Amino acid sequence: MTKREVVHTVLEGRTPPYVPWSYGFTKEAGAKLEEHFKPLDVEEVLQNHILKLGSDIGFFTDLGDNHVQDVFGVVWDRSIDKDIGNVAGCVLPEPTLQHYSFPDPLDRRFFSEIPTRIARYGDCFRVFQIGFSLYERAWTLRGMQNLLMDFYDHPDFVHTLLESIADYNITQIREALKYEIDAIYFGDDWGQQRGLQMGPRLWHQFIYPVLKRMYAVVHAAGKYVFIHSCGDVDEVFEDLIGIGLNCFNPFQPEVMEVEACMERYRGRLTFHGGLSTQRTLPFGTVEDVRMETKRLLNMGARGGYIFSPAHDIEGDVPLENMLAFIELVQNQPGYQDN
Amino acid sequence: MSILDDLCMTVINGDLNATQNLVQTALSENVPPEKILTDGLIAAMTEVGRMFENGEFYVPEMLISARAMKGGLAILRPQLAAANIQAIGKVVIGTVQGDLHDIGKNLVGMMLEGAGFEVIDLGSDVSSEKYVAAVKEHTPDLIGLSALLTTTMPRMKDIVLALRAADLRDKVKVMIGGAPVTEQYVADIGADIYAQDAASAAQRARQLMQE
Repeated sequence: MTKREVVHTVLEGRTPPYVPWSYGFTKEAGAKLEEHFKPLDVEEVLQNHILKLGSDIGFFTDLGDNHVQDVFGVVWDRSIDKDIGNVAGCVLPEPTLQHYSFPDPLDRRFFSEIPTRIARYGDCFRVFQIGFSLYERAWTLRGMQNLLMDFYDHPDFVHTLLESIADYNITQIREALKYEIDAIYFGDDWGQQRGLQMGPRLWHQFIYPVLKRMYAVVHAAGKYVFIHSCGDVDEVFEDLIGIGLNCFNPFQPEVMEVEACMERYRGRLTFHGGLSTQRTLPFGTVEDVRMETKRLLNMGARGGYIFSPAHDIEGDVPLENMLAFIELVQNQPGYQDN
Repeated sequence: MSILDDLCMTVINGDLNATQNLVQTALSENVPPEKILTDGLIAAMTEVGRMFENGEFYVPEMLISARAMKGGLAILRPQLAAANIQAIGKVVIGTVQGDLHDIGKNLVGMMLEGAGFEVIDLGSDVSSEKYVAAVKEHTPDLIGLSALLTTTMPRMKDIVLALRAADLRDKVKVMIGGAPVTEQYVADIGADIYAQDAASAAQRARQLMQE
């Protein structure tokens, strides 16, 4: 069975030969791995099962002084967070799109590497990524506090903004669907450590209908829908399943009961993530990491699960802890025999 | 309903204009400024905190209520000063060095203000030295440290140590919060108070002033 077939098996709720995996690392953590594994290519060493196409966070123009600008015009300060950065300034200081033009969703940079990447990693499950896919795109343009108040102050503007973002995404999705991909992987953080940032009522009113429209395009093409949404968002799982979500990431154990979710949604929703990045990986011992990884692999043995830490590994995670889970997943008997 | 009940409702509903009008009206009707503050604005924000804890309010509702409260307070402040009404305490807040995430810290500031505190916001990416300097300058009752990331949490301990080194640790309480922060971490680093969200930060700060 190829890696791609293993992931398909998992998504279809059937028992895989082993639990597939796919994970990423921040620059700082990645550098530790590169140093450890050199001269080997870390990507080859990791044997991830998911091939990420497109770009999760987009493309940037370097403005100097640790600042970059994305294609939407948002300036990001990367003086501290080197991977994504923090928004500097405000592209939409007023609640209107009157003076704003969306970038070209068909910018070739999103698609140009797809054929060569598929040719190189063709045995992997292929996802086209749409990062900052709705709420996050809106707040990066408008400012988070502004947008959260706009839900009350300027609801028509919020609807227009979210629908415009969806139009942009859908154009990009339709183009991506021309390639031999398996899924669209949306990314949009809605949660806090407890509950949704905007609460369930506003989520249903503003976010849900737009998700439904975007997911429908993916399903009409017979492809899977994945979403990454950080925080405590399990209260909307039923709604998401209802509009066609197939796989949820990051599955953070600090904010949701991982085992209970697996049982409750088995056969209806696949989970990707689960290994604690807020506690076990940075602060636990190698044995803690091994125990939690084994528990997750056992939990996923019947399907419905793709192993990963609950976030890209941060630079504060000791190398030994990274190596502990990498070794365990690759030593699964089903994988070794496959 | 009394005018102060109405004022409470306008703050809870996040109605800035109505809140400011009612504060003006209450003042013109010679309601004592302290009473407008305590029974109007602070009472409303206490209710907002309760509703947030109960899952009836979320961040947007808290933000618009806090905006209304601040609008009312701006009108009331000169009258409070003239009547020599003091804040119930003083708090210095900030997001620790290496962390630029500030919405949680901002919400904490708003709720503290709504609980009657004077709030000095140092912003984000705040070094130990800046905290120590702010404690010397403002002599707060409490400092609030926020961190969203596991990578920046350890800076909280640095600040506690810096306060100790400056011989200021027993002069100020230290409250910590943020997504990865736990009650246990308070003990681990020698802080005093854990707040899991903005509403509980205000509640626990108020308890502290009553002790």
